[in-house]
Amino acid sequence: MNTEVNVRPFYRKISFIVISSLLVAFMIYHTVMSVIAPARKLKEIHEKYGFVQNQKNPVDERIFSDSAFISLMREKAYFQSRVAMAGTDSIYMTINLADSTVNLEISGVVVHTTDIKKQHISSILSKDEYSVLNMLSAPLVIERDYSTIMKEPLMIKMAPKDTSEYQPDIIPDTADFEPVNFILVMDNSINIYVYQEEKLKFGDGFRRFVFDLRDRLKYTAASLARTASFRVPDYRPFIKIRLSRADAKRIYRALPYHGQVGLYR
Amino acid sequence: MNEKDLIQDPDTGSTGEINISGVTANVRSFFKRLSEDQGIKNFFRKFILIITFAASVIFVLVFFIWLVPALQEIPSGGKTALTNNPELKQDAGYKRLTSQMNRDLQRLSRKYNSFTSGQSYLVINTTDNLFHLYRNKKQVREGFCSSGSYKMLQTVEGRSWIFKTPKGKFTIQDKRVNPVWTRPDWAFVEEGLPIPARDHPTRYEYGVLGDYALSLGSGYLIHGTIYKRFIGMPVTHGCVRLGDEDLEVIYRTLSVGSKVYIF
Repeated sequence: MNTEVNVRPFYRKISFIVISSLLVAFMIYHTVMSVIAPARKLKEIHEKYGFVQNQKNPVDERIFSDSAFISLMREKAYFQSRVAMAGTDSIYMTINLADSTVNLEISGVVVHTTDIKKQHISSILSKDEYSVLNMLSAPLVIERDYSTIMKEPLMIKMAPKDTSEYQPDIIPDTADFEPVNFILVMDNSINIYVYQEEKLKFGDGFRRFVFDLRDRLKYTAASLARTASFRVPDYRPFIKIRLSRADAKRIYRALPYHGQVGLYR
Repeated sequence: MNEKDLIQDPDTGSTGEINISGVTANVRSFFKRLSEDQGIKNFFRKFILIITFAASVIFVLVFFIWLVPALQEIPSGGKTALTNNPELKQDAGYKRLTSQMNRDLQRLSRKYNSFTSGQSYLVINTTDNLFHLYRNKKQVREGFCSSGSYKMLQTVEGRSWIFKTPKGKFTIQDKRVNPVWTRPDWAFVEEGLPIPARDHPTRYEYGVLGDYALSLGSGYLIHGTIYKRFIGMPVTHGCVRLGDEDLEVIYRTLSVGSKVYIF
């Protein structure tokens, strides 16, 4: 009887040590795999958009780190994507990270412009300039979006059966009471986060935190699933910008579901 | 004064004696009793265990959700170090590539500027219900307008209409003075009236669209209103409503073929 009492805590201790060690080992393994992910993504970008040397007409590759040449490339990439987007009748967004401005444009006409209050971009977007700029020379297409407000605040009203039921009404815009935060997931896996800068009402900061946490949880779950199956997690380069609430709302409502975005960095 | 402290009451001036050694002894005996009580000991042990477990779970969550993504952003090698090498600038390949790049830039810039004509155009912001009128690429007038209400009207029979202003690039297709409103089916359904025949006199309403109307196609108009107090609010069935003065200026500035950009 005494032996049984003494054995139980020993097994408990052992299992605690084993579980803790496994957890720590998995945490280290996941960290290593996750740290590898950006480099792998950059390699993918390089393979797809990088410079291919022409053996007949070789180019000195030092040119791709020349400041004057890179500056010209930036301009060209931005113009290329804007010209491509201007060819459509749809509304598109251009983000100029150098000037800290966001424009809404339709067919080459700037219909709205606003200042970026804060910005933070993925470190890999500052690496391998040639490949990244080549990638940005084509418009980025929105694959899906997540938002705290509705794109179209539709309100359903049933038609009255006769004139006695008719009541004229004015519909308030519900988005006037909600903080405006949204995420645009682009086709080349870049994520654009647009957050409301001001904390106008009590709880706005908390709601932004919850919105951000929800996205992080999704990303973490996907990463954990990949590392658990011995694969490197998918890395999502990001651009996080903060705009005034009114501008964030205007931009989100104006952009079509599969709208286009041009980026200057 | 070592064992006993005298404290003076500021109101009465009287002094009270506090026996510090007595208090210490009481505290000591309290903790002694606490350490001897097996129930309290177990409670504290469980409490610390729960706190440690909760802290570990929180740490693991913070680690996976915030720490790992932050570690991914730690700048490592590979960042393009921009140079300014005068020797490279003399290279024939460099000259060829930069001149090609400059030509491309000029071509793209010309093409991009060709999208923006010097003609007058109107920009309508449906989120804030504002309009901006431009002439020679300069804003000449701005003000409030009304756009679609985003109301969806449904009938029991299953017919439905969405009252929203379309977004994008439009062209003025027609300009009218003293326009007459031909009431569509939804105008009757909305008021609970029976839908009349297509050319029935009740379809035609005079004076409700203001003095002018500019057609954007598909039945959408820029027009005036008799409900001026609603200007600046999203209340229309998809058309753009303007105040009388603004409408007149816009009517006179824009011509058939002018562009209207709605966002």
